[in-house]
Amino acid sequence: MPIDLSSPGGATLALLPELVLTFWALVVLMYVAWHHRDGHDMRTAGGLSIVGYIFAAAATAWLAWRGARPEGLSFMIALDGFRFASDALLLWIAAAVAILSVRWLIRQGILAPEYYPMLMLATVGMMLLAGAADLITLFLGLEVMSISVYVLAGFDRTRRASAEAALKYFLIGAFASGFLLYGIALTYGATGQFNFDLIGAQFAATPPTLMAKLGMGLILVGFAFKIAAVPFHAWAPDVYEGAPTPITAFMASGVKAAAFLALVRVLAEVFPALVDLWRPVIFGLAAITILVGNLTALSQTSMKRMLAYSAIAHAGYLLLAVWAHSDEGTAAVLIYLLAYSVTIVAAFGILASIERAGARTVRLTDLEGLFSVRPFASIGLSICMLSLLGFPGTFGFIGKWYLLSAALRAGQTTLPVIAMVGSAISIGYYLPVVLAMTLKPARTRQAHQTIRFPRPARIAVGICVFAILLLGVWPNTVLNFATQTAVQLRQSELPIGPR
Amino acid sequence: MAALLAAIGYEHWIIHVLLALPILAMPVILFAPARAARYIAFVVALMEMVLGIGLWWAFDPTRSGMQFVTDVTWMSRFGIGYRVGIDGLSLLLVLLSVIMLPLVVWGSWRGIDQKQRGFYALIMALNTGMLGVFVATDLFLFYMFWEMLLIPMYFMIGIWGSANRIYAATKFVIYTFVGSFMMLVAIIWMVAVVGKATGQYSFAYDNLLDHANLLRPWGGWLFTAFALAFAVKVPLFPFHTWLPDAHTEAPTAGSVDLAVILLKMGTYGFLRFAIPFFPMFALSKTTGMVIATLSVIGIVYAALVAMVQPDLKRLIAYSSVSHLGFVMLGIWGSTVESVQGAIMVMVSHGLSTGALFFMIGMLYERRHTRKIADYGGLARVTPLLATAFVITAFSSIGLPGLNGFVGEFLVLLGSFGRYPWLVAIAATVVVFSAAYMLWSTQRVFFNRLTNPLNEGIGDLNLRELAVIGPLIAAMIWVGLYPAPLLRRTEGAARHYVEMVTPALPPAALPDPGAQP
Repeated sequence: MPIDLSSPGGATLALLPELVLTFWALVVLMYVAWHHRDGHDMRTAGGLSIVGYIFAAAATAWLAWRGARPEGLSFMIALDGFRFASDALLLWIAAAVAILSVRWLIRQGILAPEYYPMLMLATVGMMLLAGAADLITLFLGLEVMSISVYVLAGFDRTRRASAEAALKYFLIGAFASGFLLYGIALTYGATGQFNFDLIGAQFAATPPTLMAKLGMGLILVGFAFKIAAVPFHAWAPDVYEGAPTPITAFMASGVKAAAFLALVRVLAEVFPALVDLWRPVIFGLAAITILVGNLTALSQTSMKRMLAYSAIAHAGYLLLAVWAHSDEGTAAVLIYLLAYSVTIVAAFGILASIERAGARTVRLTDLEGLFSVRPFASIGLSICMLSLLGFPGTFGFIGKWYLLSAALRAGQTTLPVIAMVGSAISIGYYLPVVLAMTLKPARTRQAHQTIRFPRPARIAVGICVFAILLLGVWPNTVLNFATQTAVQLRQSELPIGPR
Repeated sequence: MAALLAAIGYEHWIIHVLLALPILAMPVILFAPARAARYIAFVVALMEMVLGIGLWWAFDPTRSGMQFVTDVTWMSRFGIGYRVGIDGLSLLLVLLSVIMLPLVVWGSWRGIDQKQRGFYALIMALNTGMLGVFVATDLFLFYMFWEMLLIPMYFMIGIWGSANRIYAATKFVIYTFVGSFMMLVAIIWMVAVVGKATGQYSFAYDNLLDHANLLRPWGGWLFTAFALAFAVKVPLFPFHTWLPDAHTEAPTAGSVDLAVILLKMGTYGFLRFAIPFFPMFALSKTTGMVIATLSVIGIVYAALVAMVQPDLKRLIAYSSVSHLGFVMLGIWGSTVESVQGAIMVMVSHGLSTGALFFMIGMLYERRHTRKIADYGGLARVTPLLATAFVITAFSSIGLPGLNGFVGEFLVLLGSFGRYPWLVAIAATVVVFSAAYMLWSTQRVFFNRLTNPLNEGIGDLNLRELAVIGPLIAAMIWVGLYPAPLLRRTEGAARHYVEMVTPALPPAALPDPGAQP
């Protein structure tokens, strides 16, 4: 179904998933304007928001099923397999986080149902960011996402750590946006274009000027902040630790996924001609991110902080596939993000249930002896740790396998070795979690008795853990999807000359 | 027998059944009543053994390639398949694994008195993993089994082990895991290189072996990555420190499985993957000298360390390092005799060390100590146990007429041409091993019965006899009449040697087996 993106009707059709979600966010907002008193209102708002994600996913599926593609140039928003796959990934993460939040917020006494519309708007921003075909759309998506997430990070506003997280995230985020905006401005200055394809075509035709190179550099810096690559990572641990736990899961999986998907698209469509210039940058970022993330994670005692540093390390692994700059690399990014998000949602879902109101950070020592009281939760968390570690039989292993394979097939041998050294280090902080839960005895007899697993979280986590195991041995369906449909990025050999 | 097996289509389903049966038994064991767990486990183990033992007849010793082959597409996008098969290199190890299973279950009958369901479920998982490593002919599948084994072993040591168990379990996992990380990169790298050259991305063993010459430019790196993983598992001399801890702290079943099967995975890996893929590098003069020297250092050093161990289990653990050094020496000897000898040492080390660990476990169940000094004069109260122990000790030393002799003799004979000096040094270990085995046997079973606690110990009961008996019988049989075993390994060994011979530097002395 060819869609003319320059006509109002075509643009509306192309933006259908985002529009549906925005509309639904407004509906939920209207509902909570009158119903924001008690837990029942919270639950209803949460349920309504999940319906919104399902509608948006249906709209995406419809577009994908009709084979929507742009007629002529794709203005503003992309219409390709990669966008549909990205939308599906981001919507699933948002819905899972909403499910995890429902009971958690009530238990923590955060009775503000505006949480759910914010989460939906953040998702709209993420979808725009990942689907942007224009630097302005890219920035718009980034800001919609970021502003919503600033609010969400500080949602537990009576708690100091949460307020601190929000402020830190806001300051650093604003800084990163500034870099990105300046980079966009310089790129525009060098080419006179905002559209990805047109810029790409121009770079392919004429050698890029110094201004364009600077623009690319600043855009990369902006992205590096968002994906928390070393040395632009310093905000991540504090923000991850301070934010409400479901939001930490959202940031670690969703926000990072959106930024990575946009990065892949920008590098493949805007800057493919400058590949020799950005590859060394990605190489350096990947190497240092993997090593610093893993080494720092070793010394953490707080679970959320440990997972924050491990998230940094995982961003480093993902950069391997970005370096590969191939269809395989693109598919590997998608697969790894799916594997990572499934694992992170399950892990944070379990951690959120272990948290008690009041004493909020779960420490490694708090998990001791969990197996004897909550065997299923500790088996689930162990499987998550193994998946993060990349242990065979889990989906995380398939993801890691694909990343290594993409990089190696692109002729890169140093980065995979560094990545595996990083993984070898990471056993030093993933294994103690398993060890504490299963092999160590509980500290006191009353330990873990207060843990309650609300049913929605239990179901969501159960599905995730099952998916980790199932996709670990039978990933064919998602692999085929990722390699056949999802990698259809519009590469810039389009018959469009610079204007 | 062979005709009967052919009639039931044995060769088509046997490997899958052997792999699936223990895994399917796991949930049954986990959800059965706690008292029934060990009975279910034992029945499953017996079924596994009865089914598996048919391989002995179904295997055709005249063919050198893989038999019982299956090749099913699994992850087509990656070129990964469920590919399994057995040849002369793996046959005896597969048989050893299935025969050990019921013995291990029965041997844990009394020793494991808590959390039985979990324990027997882990034994089942461990068995599938071990079999999988030996039958996998797809590198992805191999790596998967190789790593997945760690989980049951980790929990087996960590939950049912003795005092220092958490330390030992963690050390075991970290050593093995870190060692095999680079192997993963190497596997994917190999496929990327071969795939780029031939256009066919496949993790099949045969495919990679056929195009091994394409890997030559990176042979050094790739071999090092593989060798690191396998050397930790063997364990080759400087990488062996995890082994005494893991063996000592593990429960009897864990020690037996470690000694009998897990250690062989390393040497098997060298024979199956590391050397055939990169013969030019693996068997070059320098690499060969380094590895043979490390093996001989391991042989002698471990024997000397074993001599001064106060703990029986630790003593046997060090003796394992020493024996596995013989296997490595035999592999690098690269003659038909030495390779066959290496396989024979693997088998006979499995039989004798397995039996020793069982008997130490039995002693421990009676006295709750493993210190040699706490025993003495047991022969008077437990004559059967003492007899069995002495026979096994002799077999471990390598007394002619028992199994240990056959393999070690073949290794020394076959490797002499290539490493005359090293073989000469390795041969001296016969003295040391006699010293540590006989000395400890004497202190435990002979001498005076001074400790009054030792007077009330009961002798072997029927169950224990049934565990030890078959092992002793096998030791004597293999020692007196090893021909059937040698016949089944000869084809594979010959094939292997023919494959790697072009890469060999000239031997120091002419091959004694070579035809003029």
